[in-house]
Amino acid sequence: MRPFTRLIWKEARELLRPRYILPILLLPLIFVGMGQGFSGVEAQLGQEPTVGVLNHDGGEYSQVVVETLESRSNLAHRSTSGSVETALNETSASGGNAVIEIPENFTDRIESGERGRVHLYTSVESVSIVGIASSAQVEELLSHSAHNVTVAVTGATEAELDPIERDHTTYVKGRQLAAPPGVVSAAFTSQFIFVPVIIMLAIVFSGQMVMNSMASETEHKTLETLLSMPVERRSIVGAKLVGGSVVGLIATALYTAGIAFSNLSIGSVGETSALTLGAGDYLLVGLSLFFTLVGTLAVALCLGLFADSQQGAQMLLLPLSGLAIVPMFATMFTDVDVLGPAAKGILLAIPFTHPIIAPKRLLFDDQALVLAGIGYEILFSLAAVWLAVKLFESDRPITGNAGWLQRFVRLVQR
Amino acid sequence: MVSQAVQVDNLHKRYGDVQALQGLSFEVRADEIFGLVGPNGAGKTTTLRTLATLLNKDDGDVTVAGHGVDGDPDAVRRSIRYLPEDAGAYETMSGRQFLEFVADFYAQGDEAAAMVDRGVEIAALDDRIDDDTQAYSKGMTRKLLLGSALMTDPTLAILDEPTSGLDVQNSKAVREVVKEFPNEERSILLSSHDMLEVEYLCDRVGLLNDGVIVTSGSPEELMAEYDAENLEDVFLEVVA
Repeated sequence: MRPFTRLIWKEARELLRPRYILPILLLPLIFVGMGQGFSGVEAQLGQEPTVGVLNHDGGEYSQVVVETLESRSNLAHRSTSGSVETALNETSASGGNAVIEIPENFTDRIESGERGRVHLYTSVESVSIVGIASSAQVEELLSHSAHNVTVAVTGATEAELDPIERDHTTYVKGRQLAAPPGVVSAAFTSQFIFVPVIIMLAIVFSGQMVMNSMASETEHKTLETLLSMPVERRSIVGAKLVGGSVVGLIATALYTAGIAFSNLSIGSVGETSALTLGAGDYLLVGLSLFFTLVGTLAVALCLGLFADSQQGAQMLLLPLSGLAIVPMFATMFTDVDVLGPAAKGILLAIPFTHPIIAPKRLLFDDQALVLAGIGYEILFSLAAVWLAVKLFESDRPITGNAGWLQRFVRLVQR
Repeated sequence: MVSQAVQVDNLHKRYGDVQALQGLSFEVRADEIFGLVGPNGAGKTTTLRTLATLLNKDDGDVTVAGHGVDGDPDAVRRSIRYLPEDAGAYETMSGRQFLEFVADFYAQGDEAAAMVDRGVEIAALDDRIDDDTQAYSKGMTRKLLLGSALMTDPTLAILDEPTSGLDVQNSKAVREVVKEFPNEERSILLSSHDMLEVEYLCDRVGLLNDGVIVTSGSPEELMAEYDAENLEDVFLEVVA
């Protein structure tokens, strides 16, 4: 095995230790667990609700209501007399929790031009998402019943009841899209919340891994031995960047899978295919992310030189995480292009901004701006790697002395 | 073969306000063990780290195995092995994997395998060589590191407190390995606070104080010069 390969192998082994990898594995498992829970709720809400009906009326329109309930629900109890308590108990025994009581003057009121009145009794035993959400199903049943009563009373057709058909055209930054604003919004949410979160996770995890790598060398007193071996400093830097980023990207993939399984993300953008990215666009986003990662990891490596333990490394990661979160939120809640010159300049100066805003720019064919961002990332990564190599060639890995930077780092650690 | 493994002339090193080395000069010849002794803070570890290319010098000339530490640090690193005073091994590796990891930087194929066999023999950890190093005692880790330091046949082995923290039995075993190491192409530069160890192991000794070599010579020469019964008395006399 060549020394560089051996160094990468060593880094991967060190970083895949349970103490580093378990906390990363835990959150995706939580996401998956939440996803299973939500899926269970969805499955339950997808089934026909079980209800009971107590019909004291016996008129034409109460019969329409009962027929609607029969066709759209599992009618566990049906009677024309008896108590609500008995009806609820029987319905509950069949797995339902709601009884609709129709009073005797229901049909008379409607025939005289008034609104009919029913009383809905709901028994909520489970104070949870399922328990509360199931009552919404019963409300929907009553809406259907009201619709059918309207048809029965007026003899109106569906077209007469909903006489306006809508066609949508939405203009986003001058681009014409044949979709309602709500669907466009859902598509944007998918692109600009999910993607930035994943990019932010990749930056934070990879940075954390590289810092852990340096902290581990210091903690286990292996750095002096490593640096005295016949391998160029840039190879050590390169191996730490590659090892850290590989493990960091694996962690990101696990999180992404966890989020995808959890159904917590906004799903398919479906009919708004005009708002999705093509393969070439993803390549540009990938390039932007790659150079950002290289630069970020090199900065993390520089900071990691001053971490004396894993705990210290976590503290030093805070400024990097903060810088990654700022453009993420900025992209979620505003558009960088509509900000004032100062705020825009600050955001664009943060290297993490460029891969985060790249998807949005590519959707609107701003490829030149994305390419300019990639150019900036290349300069940033070259500068950061150069700084890391210079630091490794200096006394600092051994003495830990970093002058003004050390004083700043201590301030951050406090 | 180089007749001098190390040549240090007028070496200066400063850490902020502290002048750690101020005109240090000495040489380590081929086929000898040279001991660097002195009180805490005298500059021993700084000297060893400079020779191991871990620290940059401020001034002076330092040549190791014929290569300047400034001009060709990679060549210096290929010629030396450095055993720091407080060193560890990678916890995710077994002792043998650690030796293989180190050997890969110096040789490939059969040569690397032979190097690892030599390291296993020097470390003398028997079956425990295949255990993860995180299960090693301090003494076992030290012996493993010594094995990794000497198995590559370095022109110069730099050993900082080689028996630090070891029990009597392990110390003796390590001393025997160190004593046997030098030959016409191999030398040792070591630092130790144990004067009996230095007296037993070293062909020549440099007494370091306040960043300069105060006196140097064989233990016998130094004892005669200072009319002392042992090297410890010489040390106390010189430092006083």
